[in-house]
Amino acid sequence: MIRLSPQVRAGIQRTTLPALILLSAAIVIVGKADQTMFDRFRTTLSDAVAPALDVLSRPLAAAESTLDRARGVVALYQDNRRLEQENERLLQWQQVALKLSADNRQLRGLLKAVPEGKVSYVTTRVIANSGGAYVRTVMVNAGAEDGLARGQAAITGEGLVGRLTEVGSRASRILLITDLNSRIPVVIDGSHSSAVLAGDNSDRPRLVYLATPDAVKVGDRVVTSGEGGIFPPGVPVGVVTTVSSSGPRVEPYVEMSQLGYLMAVDYGLSGALPQPIPPATRPGRRTKTASGE
Amino acid sequence: MSFRDFTEPTLPRVNSGAARLLPLLTTILAALVTILPLRAPGYAALTPAFTLMAVYHWTIYRPDLLPSVALFAIGLAEDLLTGAPIGFAPLAFLLTRAVVLRCRRYFVNQAFPFVWAGFTLVAGSTLLGLWAVHCLIELSLVNPRYTVFRMVLTIAIFPLASFLLGRTQRALMGTG
Repeated sequence: MIRLSPQVRAGIQRTTLPALILLSAAIVIVGKADQTMFDRFRTTLSDAVAPALDVLSRPLAAAESTLDRARGVVALYQDNRRLEQENERLLQWQQVALKLSADNRQLRGLLKAVPEGKVSYVTTRVIANSGGAYVRTVMVNAGAEDGLARGQAAITGEGLVGRLTEVGSRASRILLITDLNSRIPVVIDGSHSSAVLAGDNSDRPRLVYLATPDAVKVGDRVVTSGEGGIFPPGVPVGVVTTVSSSGPRVEPYVEMSQLGYLMAVDYGLSGALPQPIPPATRPGRRTKTASGE
Repeated sequence: MSFRDFTEPTLPRVNSGAARLLPLLTTILAALVTILPLRAPGYAALTPAFTLMAVYHWTIYRPDLLPSVALFAIGLAEDLLTGAPIGFAPLAFLLTRAVVLRCRRYFVNQAFPFVWAGFTLVAGSTLLGLWAVHCLIELSLVNPRYTVFRMVLTIAIFPLASFLLGRTQRALMGTG
């Protein structure tokens, strides 16, 4: 080790803090200007600590499931009655669905419609929280090793959660539809009016670029439109809850703060999302990408 | 304006290795608590800035055992793992350290309400400042609601964090 004189050492100590503050400020600016620059660090670090986060988040999940169970025992009787009624109703719907599905198959056969591609699911668990007040993302404990790829949709049983933006080998990050940078092409069910669902870090994203703004009513169902080729059409997103001068707002079907398990879905479309351009081969000017992300 | 890192050897010597590592370990623990998902409604957006509490506490009582470089590394790791805009956490921690080091002599050996008031000022202005930076880099007026709630929650939880940190400090270092 190099021996330093006390004056030099004191000098270094005195300048460390301001130097690091300047470095942090520089990182904020550089990180914003070139967002792909730190992606590799993010995925590498996420991969490295994913096993630890996985283990650490388990007791939390266990405590939550115990609480859930206790709550379930208390509400057992009411739940049972409600479910019996619901079951009766759903059995009727099942008959309807079976009949429609048979009809649909037959008509598709008559029309020689192209069959839809195979859909594959990977179920993952949320292992890390999002970045406080600034972003709406979650980290899950699966990555490229498990078949996840950038651009895949993340859903739960209720509806769309977001899409995979960073995929490491063992951990991945999902940009929620409520995030400031999330833009999802959607269509209002019923009126077939297309729009873009724009997140703004609040719990209820806005509908912008509406084709027919006056046709939107409170209670309208919003589903993905499939435009842009990132999501397949018809994935449920949410319900229009308010219609004001600043534009309609949509309450997502999925409660984003209660995400436990979610599914990464491969619809065979994930190639549509442009991969980040590797720094070494980056040309002088950015190449235009197909989906214009 | 000049910042200075902590150089005065006025604090009592701590010989035990565990005690010397205490500030670093508790700060890393606070960062971990910040990252882990708690499925409470709205929690993700309102997660209190636990790490900032540890940084404030240790910069007042043992700035020698929690160096700037460690704050920079912990902050960077926290940003990378939470997906937050990169550089925000290290900037917050280092500015907190810089401000607290300048005013340290007013805080040491003071009653808790005074320390808490100091935290209110420091954490409040840090979180509001980061909100302003966030607006600037996103080039849009981000709704300050979550920042304000998060600030209030952070300030409200500080007494508990300070109590826990103070207790472990006394138990392991015998001072504070």
